[in-house]
Amino acid sequence: MRENNGFRKFSISSVWLWIGVFALVPNLALFLVSFLDRGEVDYFIPAFTLDNYLRLLDPAFVNIFLKSMYLAGVSTLSCLLIGYPFAYLMAGAGKRIRPWLMLLVVIPFWTNSLIRTYALVIILKNQGLINKLMLSLGLAEGSFSLMYNDIAVFVGLTYTLLPFMILPLYASIEKLDRRLLDAAQDLGASPLRSFWHVTLPLTLPGIVAGCILVFLPALGTFYIPEILGGAKVMLLGSFIKNQFLVARDWPLGASASMIMTGILIFMALVYRLVNRQADGSAQAGQNAGAA
Amino acid sequence: MKKKVVLLALAFSFVFMGLPSTAGWLSANALAAEKNNGKVIVYNWSEYIPQEVLDEFTKETGVEVVYSTYETNDSMYAKIKLLRGKGYDLVCPSTYYLHLMIEEGLFKKFDHSKLSNIVNLDPQLMNPSYDPGNEYSIPYMWGSVGLLINTAYVKPENARSFKDLLRPEYKGKIILTDDMRDCYGMAMHAVGKSANSTDPDDIKAGYEFLKALHPSVVTFDVSAVKQAFISEEVIIGTSWNGDALVAQQEKPELEFVYPEDGALVWVDSFAMPVGAENVENAHKFVNFLLRPEIAKKCQEEYMYSTPNLKTLDLLSAEKRANRTLVPTGDELKNAEYLLNYGGKTLQIYKNYWEKARSGL
Repeated sequence: MRENNGFRKFSISSVWLWIGVFALVPNLALFLVSFLDRGEVDYFIPAFTLDNYLRLLDPAFVNIFLKSMYLAGVSTLSCLLIGYPFAYLMAGAGKRIRPWLMLLVVIPFWTNSLIRTYALVIILKNQGLINKLMLSLGLAEGSFSLMYNDIAVFVGLTYTLLPFMILPLYASIEKLDRRLLDAAQDLGASPLRSFWHVTLPLTLPGIVAGCILVFLPALGTFYIPEILGGAKVMLLGSFIKNQFLVARDWPLGASASMIMTGILIFMALVYRLVNRQADGSAQAGQNAGAA
Repeated sequence: MKKKVVLLALAFSFVFMGLPSTAGWLSANALAAEKNNGKVIVYNWSEYIPQEVLDEFTKETGVEVVYSTYETNDSMYAKIKLLRGKGYDLVCPSTYYLHLMIEEGLFKKFDHSKLSNIVNLDPQLMNPSYDPGNEYSIPYMWGSVGLLINTAYVKPENARSFKDLLRPEYKGKIILTDDMRDCYGMAMHAVGKSANSTDPDDIKAGYEFLKALHPSVVTFDVSAVKQAFISEEVIIGTSWNGDALVAQQEKPELEFVYPEDGALVWVDSFAMPVGAENVENAHKFVNFLLRPEIAKKCQEEYMYSTPNLKTLDLLSAEKRANRTLVPTGDELKNAEYLLNYGGKTLQIYKNYWEKARSGL
């Protein structure tokens, strides 16, 4: 027992050390730099200023921010619309099929996402796979391109990030107490109604977790939108990269990263709130069932 | 319980294996320990020196080459600056980064008496304004940013200069580089200004050009220019002459144009960071690359122009006659090197660039 305790302490403290060194310290450093002034030669000089945040109010940045939110938001929504039915069916599938379905979700992870994005280029491009297929089926004439538009970006982001939506959804749908659905049916609720009033509220934590896991990477991974969408509008990720590397304006890059961290914290708070409420209603449901 | 600890340790070691820099550092040290003549640590552009050439150098001199690569000047600069010039013996910046890094004192001088092959280099590319006397920089490759056109759709007489990009028939068929200096430099030349201008009015004029051009652009990209031209996603746009030559092999109707309003010339040169420890070997390595037959191998692999005049003599007559690869004075009329401008000017360019990129 004592040995077990030592092991627990060791593993927990090593995780904390890991997070501390590689997540907390860099983020604190970024937070500090975001309030410093930029130097002519040095990346930043120790003079307090709020200027970096004020500079983010520039219309150019607002435009970058809104466009990034739009692309990430729509991609998250499409992941949810595709992922929810899939996770629902997977949770309801037989014990034998389930691991195979899970495998199908995970397999794409084995290939680097940049390579998968270039694979999409080969499918979507002018004289690409879809183009050639349509030609040979006589459904189209001449060559056409499906690249360099928002739809291509949504396809790319949804394809890459879908597993991050399915896995938490699956986890929360699977632990859903099916007896509650039976009870709803017995009491005369239509399938749609019991879905709306029972399934959806109880799986809300999974939905929120999935949305967080998809939305934030969608906001940050700029290479997928840039390769497939043509980079005609700069996105938040490349804006930040640009400040650090090209413009040598670390304080501005740091303050833009802080905006992203702010979004993350906000979403984590929403997640906590939703989790509590779901716990509460599950309790209530069980109590009602017991009564 | 022991089993669990072992498993955990294993898991940790896997995580460490995933860190490429750690792995590279370990293997670099292990390799160097085996050799007597030490090593030279080279930090270079990816796809720039054939492995064969590196092996030949090691075989001949017994000096191990510890080789790592970068994709942009920006990331190389950030690393050298943060490490205060320690950790690498040679880097290969382009003109304006060389200029900036010399100004910031990040390099040390070469000893020309140890570089006997320097006489092979083209005097036209030597003694640049950013490094008089080539004290800090030895040219390795050079090239230009110009226009690439698909002659099946674009008449060469309608694509003589950068400002021709504004012609309505190219709308939705243009690719531009996403590199700020190259793209903005193109715009500055199109409006008849210097790509190194520090005058805010000039910079604004360049911005107006980019803004007017934005609706015609289909993509800003620098890494997949060849592919975009080969699949006919685009028919005209900015390109390096080296990329153009490679793309031509697959699609002969592509043609590189040195624009009349002036190409942007870059020279990538080797330089020694101030903290370089293997100075002797760095000289040996650079001198080795300056040999005509070695420079020929590098040229043939990657199709950039070589500054080595003796190498030009070794190339086939057909290659020497290729004006894309070996431009004469005419093609480079109005051409310009990109130089460093101060931090204040950079901010002005950057703010306009961020707007122009989004069509605002």
